[in-house]
Amino acid sequence: MISKPEKQLGVVPASRPVMPKLNLSFRLKDKRRRTIYGVIMLLMVTTLATVPTIIPKGVNLVAATQGLIDNIRIMFLHPAVSNTSFGSLVGALVQSIALAFLTTLIGAIFAFFIALMASRNLAPRWLIDIVQSAMAFVRAIPTILWVLIYSVALGLGANAAVIGLTFHSVAYLVKVYADSIDELPKDTLAALRAMGVGFWPLVSQVILPTVMPSFLSWTFIRFEINFANAVAVGAAAGAGGIGYQLFMASGFYFDFHEVGMIVYLILAFTIPLEIISYKLRTRYIKRAGK
Amino acid sequence: MLEINKLSKTYDGGKRSLTDVSLTAKEGEVTAIIGPSGAGKTTLLRSINQLIVDDSGEILFDGQDIRKLNHRQLKKTRSKIGMIFQNYNLIESLTTIENVLHGSLARKSTLAGVLSLYSKDEKQEALQLIDEVGLADFAFKYCSDLSGGQKQRVGIARSLMQHPKMMLCDEPIASLDPRSTTMVMEILRRLADEKHMMILINLHQVDIAKEYADHIIGLNNGRIVFDGATATATDRDIENIYVSDAPVAVG
Ligand SMILES: Nc1ncnc2c1ncn2[C@@H]1O[C@H](COP(=O)(O)OP(=O)(O)OP(=O)(O)O)[C@@H](O)[C@H]1O
Ligand SMILES: [Mg+2]
Repeated sequence: MISKPEKQLGVVPASRPVMPKLNLSFRLKDKRRRTIYGVIMLLMVTTLATVPTIIPKGVNLVAATQGLIDNIRIMFLHPAVSNTSFGSLVGALVQSIALAFLTTLIGAIFAFFIALMASRNLAPRWLIDIVQSAMAFVRAIPTILWVLIYSVALGLGANAAVIGLTFHSVAYLVKVYADSIDELPKDTLAALRAMGVGFWPLVSQVILPTVMPSFLSWTFIRFEINFANAVAVGAAAGAGGIGYQLFMASGFYFDFHEVGMIVYLILAFTIPLEIISYKLRTRYIKRAGK
Repeated sequence: MLEINKLSKTYDGGKRSLTDVSLTAKEGEVTAIIGPSGAGKTTLLRSINQLIVDDSGEILFDGQDIRKLNHRQLKKTRSKIGMIFQNYNLIESLTTIENVLHGSLARKSTLAGVLSLYSKDEKQEALQLIDEVGLADFAFKYCSDLSGGQKQRVGIARSLMQHPKMMLCDEPIASLDPRSTTMVMEILRRLADEKHMMILINLHQVDIAKEYADHIIGLNNGRIVFDGATATATDRDIENIYVSDAPVAVG
């Protein structure tokens, strides 16, 4: 996979060869992975070490476990609606789906144009570096935090949720879109430019049709992520939707029957979503990488 | 008519790749550029549409010095110059007709190129060109499924879609079998004869150059060491091109 056969003997290379750089990024990834594993191990050890100190005295572990099992049984075997209507739960679910859809759509449009500035095939090195690091910074901060950051300015609620989710979606999609564009053969794009094809016609008639399948799959995957985020911000940032209902049922009414019902509703939507996105992933994204 | 005067090029930190290269190529003629590996054939061909920025000299095409054109004019001139590459440079994940249609983008204004899909006429023309290069049955096949010879013919059809006046071919047959080689060379010959195009072609095969070219230019170590009609080139002349310290042709 790393050593592709050199197939352009005798052609003056249009730019520096990319091979060594590729190797470097593989090593970097490995190093990053090692760091991540290291940090996780450290956290696990500290967690285990502190567990004894946080267990309150006088807890009957047997009774507590029994209670947990009971609650889980109530949730999953006896789902019911009591504090609100089934219709309004479905409405809340639709609201969360709409939030995920809207933020993915807006994010995809912005990300497409920014990705053009972040692809090795289209942009100069310095611009790529600036855009990629800015996007990496945005990605490094979790979506929920962006929503909370924006809610400082806009107040808790739907507006902050839309902007926060969109913001993180853009950063995520720019990376995967730019990677898809990078997979196009650089020499061929250069050849088309050499034939006098302008930048925008190249983007709209050559690049877009070619990367469309992988763009759509990635966008769909992001939609799935955004739905999970939409549920979470509904609970955490008062953005409404099914997440808010979940928050009310569990934290306010302590109604585990209703929590169960909400969880089933969410699953009814996410499981098909997961299946579709898995299919898309294997069909388009793995194939593009070969 | 293409007229190159005293073109020179030195790569950054490298040695001199072209030294005072002057030549003339005419419409309706196939001009073959031959010479040993590293002689500067690719450098010369790529300078012609300024893919390589040379150091000094003059490249007159259509009465204009290509080296002095601004960005916009260069783009326009490039659209009149077809290019054929050894490794085809197609988008393999698209079909033959899609690749051929890319050639028409060169002619369009930016706005038309961005907004409009290809017109019916353009599609018709693309199909016609695909038929002309003998690929009618492959118009809707993915290029990744074609053979090398077929891919090269897609490359030619794509260039023809530009309505070029000149074709620059950098070792178009280097990775093809004899049958495909003949097919590609016949097509190029026909373009010169029937469409009165100017064909410049870098070659390694002397016999092919002799068979198809009207005019042979010998390049060695960045200098022109032979320049003459194919008919007048003797075997000695040709051999001389490949000798490392070939005497420089005068005149
Ligand atoms: N991008 C580059 N940077 C530096 N030197 C280069 C570059 N491209 C070519 N050269 C040098 O310029 C000289 C001419 O190269 P060029 O590719 O034009 O030769 P060629 O005649 O096309 O050879 P071949 O028959 O092998 O394709 C060679 O010495 C080569 O090493
Ligand atoms: Mg060459």
